[in-house]
Amino acid sequence: MAQYNLEGCQSMDLAKHPSGIGLILQNIVSTVNLGCKLDLKMIALRARNAEYNPKVCTGAKSEEQSKLAARKYARIVQKIGFQAQFMDFKVQNVVASSDVKFPIRLERLSLHHDAFCTFEPEIFPGLIYRMKDPKIVLLIFASGKIVLTGAKSRDQLYRAFEQIYPVVVEYRVPQIGNEDKDSTDRVPRLLA
Amino acid sequence: MADAFCPDCKRSTEVVFDHSAGDTVCSECGLVLEAHAIDETSEWRTFANESADNDPVRVGGPSNPLLTDGGLSTVISKPNGAQGDFLSSSLGRWQNRGSNPDRSLILAFRTIANMADRLGLVATIKDRANEIYKKVEDLKSIRGRNQDAILAACLYIACRQEDRPRTVKEICSVANGATKKEIGRAKEYIVKQLEVEMGQSMEMGTIHAGDFLRRFCSHLGMSNQAVKAAQEAVQKSEELDIRRSPISIAAAVIYMITQLSEAKKPLRDISLATGVAEGTIRNSYKDLYPYASRIIPASFAKEEDLKNLCSP
Repeated sequence: MAQYNLEGCQSMDLAKHPSGIGLILQNIVSTVNLGCKLDLKMIALRARNAEYNPKVCTGAKSEEQSKLAARKYARIVQKIGFQAQFMDFKVQNVVASSDVKFPIRLERLSLHHDAFCTFEPEIFPGLIYRMKDPKIVLLIFASGKIVLTGAKSRDQLYRAFEQIYPVVVEYRVPQIGNEDKDSTDRVPRLLA
Repeated sequence: MADAFCPDCKRSTEVVFDHSAGDTVCSECGLVLEAHAIDETSEWRTFANESADNDPVRVGGPSNPLLTDGGLSTVISKPNGAQGDFLSSSLGRWQNRGSNPDRSLILAFRTIANMADRLGLVATIKDRANEIYKKVEDLKSIRGRNQDAILAACLYIACRQEDRPRTVKEICSVANGATKKEIGRAKEYIVKQLEVEMGQSMEMGTIHAGDFLRRFCSHLGMSNQAVKAAQEAVQKSEELDIRRSPISIAAAVIYMITQLSEAKKPLRDISLATGVAEGTIRNSYKDLYPYASRIIPASFAKEEDLKNLCSP
């Protein structure tokens, strides 16, 4: 069986992550061809935890888990009596989230990267950045959290993140002196 | 009197414009340089028979370049002194049978005009919305899509392009049953379709709180001083890191300013005028409160007044 990797225990490979920030995989969607006709009604009735989502395996937090889940499902279908095989397992979509730990000026970013960005604060608070190479969609939020999706492999996500990191650093919200938000001190300030 | 080159005299000579015939005549040799000049000054009115129903100079409405043949049409009118319903006769029925190629377009334009009138929008925005709709319509891919949402989105985009944005909620209020989500989706769809067609001309800047402030303030009947203070406050708040929709920030600023003046507006009125929920205004006010001294102009409220500002 494949080795079971815990995401948090991996040591950071700075060659792959020059920014020093790692991504947390959130979701993997993959498909597999069982190679035989299925009676879905029968499977839905006889298998436990069966939902009608033909041949799609979702929710896994890593690629190995996804393959494992697909294999388990194929086994269940086999037990019911169909001649199931395990052909063409393919990961279709990998989703990851990350945090750059500083607030970002979305409006300015969308102004300067107009061709790639969609930002409609009324409709959705996050900026939608459609990167061309690799072809990934990133949701960038003002808090500094970034969601990356549309990748076929996690390497694509790493590359996309390393490309967006310097851009996002450029649009960091500048820190405003010693600002203590909870201060009730009312020192009169002269407005220019 | 002007100067132009006369081909007979072979030099620049003084030229006279004869208004009665529309001729441009050389004063030296009398050669007519240009005849039948088109007069572009404003037209004169016929006062002879000031009856509103039948001005013989005009035939039909203004030409609309968006319609297939410029909106030209020939109709058989009711003869004078006809009794009863002329149009139900065979001639009238025959006329109505002919299908107008632009029928859906005309209906769409009428709906857009209705919505625009309810919002009090000017003709430029209306015309731009019509243009956008025509372009989208030509692509045929909107068949079966929510028509109300598409029309509302055209109007929304037109307002944005003219730098007079209206909130999606405002457009919702006049759109026939389209929800905020549907209009948002329709807007994204239209922009994507037209970006391929028109390239860079679909530029719309992001919305800012200041764009809506003036309108919200006049809905609430705030004093000029308060309005100016609110505009300055919103300007200053743009540098702060407040993660809220610009509309909510505008509403919160208005709340803060009105609390500082004598005419305090209740949260409910502000909520109605801006379309922001009362809870959201309270939360945005909470975010804005720590920076109150920074964004509110000193000319409007002094430090002691700020102390009176109720803590959220």
